[in-house]
Amino acid sequence: MKKSLAPYLYIAPAFAAALVFSLVSMGISLWASLHHFDAFAGAAGYAGLDNYRRALGEADSHFWLALGHTALYVVLSAAGVLLTALPLALVCQRVRWGQALFRTLYFLPSITPGVVLALVFYHLFGVWGNLLDDRRTALPALALMGVWAGAGYNMVLFLAGLTEIPQHLYDAARVDGAGPWQQFWHITLPMLRNTLVFVVVMTIIGAFQVFTSVYIMTSGGPERSTEVITYTIFLNAFAVAGQMGYASAVAWLLFGVVAVFVFIQMRLFRSRKVYDE
Amino acid sequence: MSKRLLPLVALLGMALGAVVMVYPYAYMVGSSLKTRREFAQDKEGLVPPRFRLEERLRHSRGESSALDWPGADWPLWQNYADAIRFGRVDRFLGNSFLYGAVITAVQLFLDILAAYAFARLEFAGKRVLFGLLLCTMMVPPAVLLIPNFLVVRQLGLVDTMWGVVLPGFAGAFGIFLLRQAFLNIPAELEQAARIDGCGSWGILWNVVLPLSKPALITLGLFTFMGAWNMFEWPLVVLSDQDFYPLTVGLSLFRSETSADWPRIFAASTMGAAPLILLFLAAQRYLVGGISLSGMKV
Repeated sequence: MKKSLAPYLYIAPAFAAALVFSLVSMGISLWASLHHFDAFAGAAGYAGLDNYRRALGEADSHFWLALGHTALYVVLSAAGVLLTALPLALVCQRVRWGQALFRTLYFLPSITPGVVLALVFYHLFGVWGNLLDDRRTALPALALMGVWAGAGYNMVLFLAGLTEIPQHLYDAARVDGAGPWQQFWHITLPMLRNTLVFVVVMTIIGAFQVFTSVYIMTSGGPERSTEVITYTIFLNAFAVAGQMGYASAVAWLLFGVVAVFVFIQMRLFRSRKVYDE
Repeated sequence: MSKRLLPLVALLGMALGAVVMVYPYAYMVGSSLKTRREFAQDKEGLVPPRFRLEERLRHSRGESSALDWPGADWPLWQNYADAIRFGRVDRFLGNSFLYGAVITAVQLFLDILAAYAFARLEFAGKRVLFGLLLCTMMVPPAVLLIPNFLVVRQLGLVDTMWGVVLPGFAGAFGIFLLRQAFLNIPAELEQAARIDGCGSWGILWNVVLPLSKPALITLGLFTFMGAWNMFEWPLVVLSDQDFYPLTVGLSLFRSETSADWPRIFAASTMGAAPLILLFLAAQRYLVGGISLSGMKV
């Protein structure tokens, strides 16, 4: 094989961009999280783990509060997706007429800017009983919008998974006298396992990073009841405080939590043949 | 349940769901046609009061009605015209188009080159480098917000249009998608071109790309949509309103104290419409692409 520089020239530009805006970025972020780092004054000395300690331990830190809200949002989103997108796909599959039309309509929120959706639901939730003004209903309302927005997209994923299930499995089950429920539990669900895990993991990773709806609809309120991690990061780094070091530490803590799901996602990408050897 | 009934029930269920999906859009468009007074008096309605039959009847009977309210003589598109004239929505839309076009063009170009090398060329360290790219893809954007800002600031590009688009050039996911498409092209075609004296550059542009159109269109659409919808990044990196994309421009209206909501809804409709039209024109590529790879807009 002829040794040549050409392949490296092909990959160099994309690599430069990807490396600078992910790996180098991560390095800078790690460095910032270990320093007293103010957006306006700049770096002011090594801080060790002070920023992390402050996030995890100090009374005025909103980290645990925000993590709790984020976790609740994640759970509601994942449950909501399973309870909407999967049944929708099962029903849509049975429809003989207009399937393409339904898919289009259900898909609309996926191609609408999150800001627009948030502005509309800001009013709809007001009309439906001021859901955003009550600290008990605000976060579930945000999750409800997220589930509504993701239902069509995830339905399409489930539909694709459903079409991959060989029809003869159902035929055989029917010959053996299995009813619709038994077919669902013993064929559809097991055969859909990969899609299920994929959808749930992607939903979880996305939900951990919810920001736009919080920013537009509640600004973290009422009484901090919708303050999520990304909003804490944003507030500390950019809005009022300019505390980039502290905010970076919080971002790394978020990454630590999400990493588990990212790891699963990585394995899934391999199994979905997006990435194979 | 009988065999004949099941599809009918399914159809009914899907139709009901479709109403739930479309209702917020109807609300958005309906509200964008209201006058300020109409929106203040009637937040729920889908049809502006001045167009309702009962108000018209009341008016014709000489009773007081919505047609006596200020703005009752407005044409339908009044809020749209005002959103452009006073809210500079045309400027924001133009910026969004520009960001979308630049990010899509550059990212696609970089992805094509890298994907081709990973699919067809042999070089030392290929597997390691590819694995490294895979890693960069998995970092959550929320974690990259602050450091990307610091990088862009170091480059002196905060509050510039280049600062908005620069991080968007990185797109490991596109490399994976295109590489997969390139791998599916029969190698014999390339060998034939090579015999005819074509180099790897010529093969890429004359053989590989024309045969990968669906994948390129899919990736292009997703990249454009992602760029159009981006919010947190431009919010953080920009402070000059002249450079705002539509998403950030909309959030600006929202934070005004006396928000003119019908006008905001008009601007929102104008912000949502281009992508919906694009989607309608090219949905087979999008739906196919999602089913294939679980791509996220």
